[in-house]
Amino acid sequence: MTRTRTPGISRRSTLALMGAGAMSVAAPWVARAQAKTIKIGMPTILSGRVAQLGTSSRNAVMLEVDKVNAAGGLAGRPIEMVIRDSKGQPQEAARVARELVNTDGCEWLIDGEASSGSFAVHEVARDLGVLCVHTCSEASSLTADPKQHIPNAFRCVRQGIHDSIVGGSYAAAISKAKGLKKWATCSPDYAYGRDTTGEFTLYLKRFAPDVEVISESWPKLFQPDYTEVVTKILQAKPQALYSCLWGGDLTSYIDQANIYAMFGQMEVFAVNMADYTALTVVKNLPKGIHSGNRYIKTFPTTPENAAWGNAYKAKYNEYPTNWSWQNATAVMFLSEAAKKANSTDGKKIAEVLAGLTIKCPFGADGTVTMRADDHTLVGYAIGWGTTIPQEPYVPEVKAGDWKTIFELEAEWKKSKGYT
Amino acid sequence: MTELEAGRAERLPVRNGAVLQRYRDVLIALIAFAVLASLPMFTGSKALLDFVIRCSAYGLFATSLNLLVGYTGLISFGHGMFFGLGAYGYGLIMQRLGVPIPVAFVATLAITAVVATVIGAICVRLKEIYFAFVTLAFQMLIHSTILSWASFTGGDQGLRGGIPRPVFLGIDLANHVHLYVASCALLILGLLAMRQIAQSPFGYTLRMIRDNAARASFLGIDVWRAKLTVFVLAALFASMGGMVMALFVSGAYPEFAYWTISGEGIFINMLGGVSTFLGPMVGTVLLLLLNDTVTRFTEYHGIVLGVVILFFALGLRKGLLDFVADWFAHRRGAGEGR
Repeated sequence: MTRTRTPGISRRSTLALMGAGAMSVAAPWVARAQAKTIKIGMPTILSGRVAQLGTSSRNAVMLEVDKVNAAGGLAGRPIEMVIRDSKGQPQEAARVARELVNTDGCEWLIDGEASSGSFAVHEVARDLGVLCVHTCSEASSLTADPKQHIPNAFRCVRQGIHDSIVGGSYAAAISKAKGLKKWATCSPDYAYGRDTTGEFTLYLKRFAPDVEVISESWPKLFQPDYTEVVTKILQAKPQALYSCLWGGDLTSYIDQANIYAMFGQMEVFAVNMADYTALTVVKNLPKGIHSGNRYIKTFPTTPENAAWGNAYKAKYNEYPTNWSWQNATAVMFLSEAAKKANSTDGKKIAEVLAGLTIKCPFGADGTVTMRADDHTLVGYAIGWGTTIPQEPYVPEVKAGDWKTIFELEAEWKKSKGYT
Repeated sequence: MTELEAGRAERLPVRNGAVLQRYRDVLIALIAFAVLASLPMFTGSKALLDFVIRCSAYGLFATSLNLLVGYTGLISFGHGMFFGLGAYGYGLIMQRLGVPIPVAFVATLAITAVVATVIGAICVRLKEIYFAFVTLAFQMLIHSTILSWASFTGGDQGLRGGIPRPVFLGIDLANHVHLYVASCALLILGLLAMRQIAQSPFGYTLRMIRDNAARASFLGIDVWRAKLTVFVLAALFASMGGMVMALFVSGAYPEFAYWTISGEGIFINMLGGVSTFLGPMVGTVLLLLLNDTVTRFTEYHGIVLGVVILFFALGLRKGLLDFVADWFAHRRGAGEGR
């Protein structure tokens, strides 16, 4: 007797069918899970006096995110940015950052806060363990101070100490060449103004020991009238003036100092002048103001940088700011790290980010690096030049030397007890 | 029955009424705490817990301001200095001395009491707008000191590096739920204490001073001492609010002692109402809800908040809870009239 198959469906085929059914039901879910967007939260300042900088940060991030999404996203996951205003208040920045992670389901944070707000978001990152890239705070202690260090936070921003070293050596060279021995300073009266001015004069005197600071002025932040400060400086009759006033304060100061023809009477070194927010707003931009580069599309003098500046201008009908390039660089870093890790897991990305070097239009040599030991950005284009009243505003910028920066930065860290 | 005994017998129901009301307040406080503390069992929403923690900080601050504004008629424009003082005092003690949390808490309150006594002794002699402006001046002095004394306070970047939260009595404030329950407990205890102050004979003395300080003085009340006492008490509760905020953000920032915080306190009081005890608490919930909702959708939140202020100032002409209380009183009056 031969065994014949019983009619109906066998157990094996039932199992196979069930498996196939489960697969066909689950497949779209699996596919959807893999293609699920990755939300990145970004608290930044979109209202108040520095709203322009926050908006320019948002613009730059979106410019880069669109490129990443067009290329397939981060490890196959398209990015969805959730960007909220913190009003520049640290408690609000902390709240918004927590809300972005806890309620909106953001997996990473790009912290577009300045000053105290960035420290508040840093604490949220410490608390929640979420991957966080600071993109606007220039306070050196955020990453230089080992007490601040957490494995999941990075800083993709220029630093006050780097600017001071390059500015000090540049100014010293001009001092020696032109015999500028009597200096005055005029900077905003808060931590950034005092620290940056102190560090600049420290390195100026180091490279040109016979320099003497004969007058110091500390106008209040957002002060509307600078008459008193300008007349004080004119009376002291210095040969050169250093200032780290920025944004609207710097433009008001220049407009008011122009009335007293101050710029013809001394060499002026204003570290924050070469930023389009200041360059395009001053009524009569004096020729020959020395400035550090903030963001300018002619430095570094590469086609990539010019193309990026033009693309930004074409999309938003205004020039990028210093905060723009930093935010754009952060997205470039995250994108490259996700590619290398082939994952969007925060911990894996953090491991890859530490020490990562990427190609970047804002690099001194076409690349920038996220330094492994203190999670901070190095190798970006940094230099000083002199202004002219029309585009390109700062035609020639003398690049700073990163070897010198690293040496002096290490000394500075030691003197602060950071190493 | 002697005359004295008759007097006592008359006062007895009044005292019984006060005792009953106190029991009722304690009961309400216990129920409120039980409801709030059990919230994490029903919801996993961290945002909701964050919201309640922030409500605790601002609620303590705004209700303490109402002790001055609503009960005593002292419009302080500088009350935020004590909020800042609480946050900085607590943060600095924890960072530098590493003492247990309750010790830092009590020490901060002690520091606040001393500072408030000194500032209050100068300010409460003044009336109306002069009082308002001198309190504002002191606030700006404290804010400027925080900014200038960078080696101690961290300057405009605030107290960095996080505030340590060592475990005490099995309570771990680094744990989100523990922090939430502790904040609720502080809020309820603070509100209950302020309620007792407001309902005590001292509270009624304050109302008398508000309505007619000269009459109170003629009745033998030391107006200056009463005002100073409530100024210091209000400062203590504001300081508690500051400590809750410092715990929430794990830091202290100069903005906590800036005049805008005082402005927010006054705005909350306007929003919720000053003639009912819970008015400021209602105002706090309203303001934070409004802020959190509006900032999700637009950066032009200033316009929305401005419209809301106009609605309350020109439309209702009083805070929300005052409006509701008046409406109920009016209805009851109309019902009894029938």
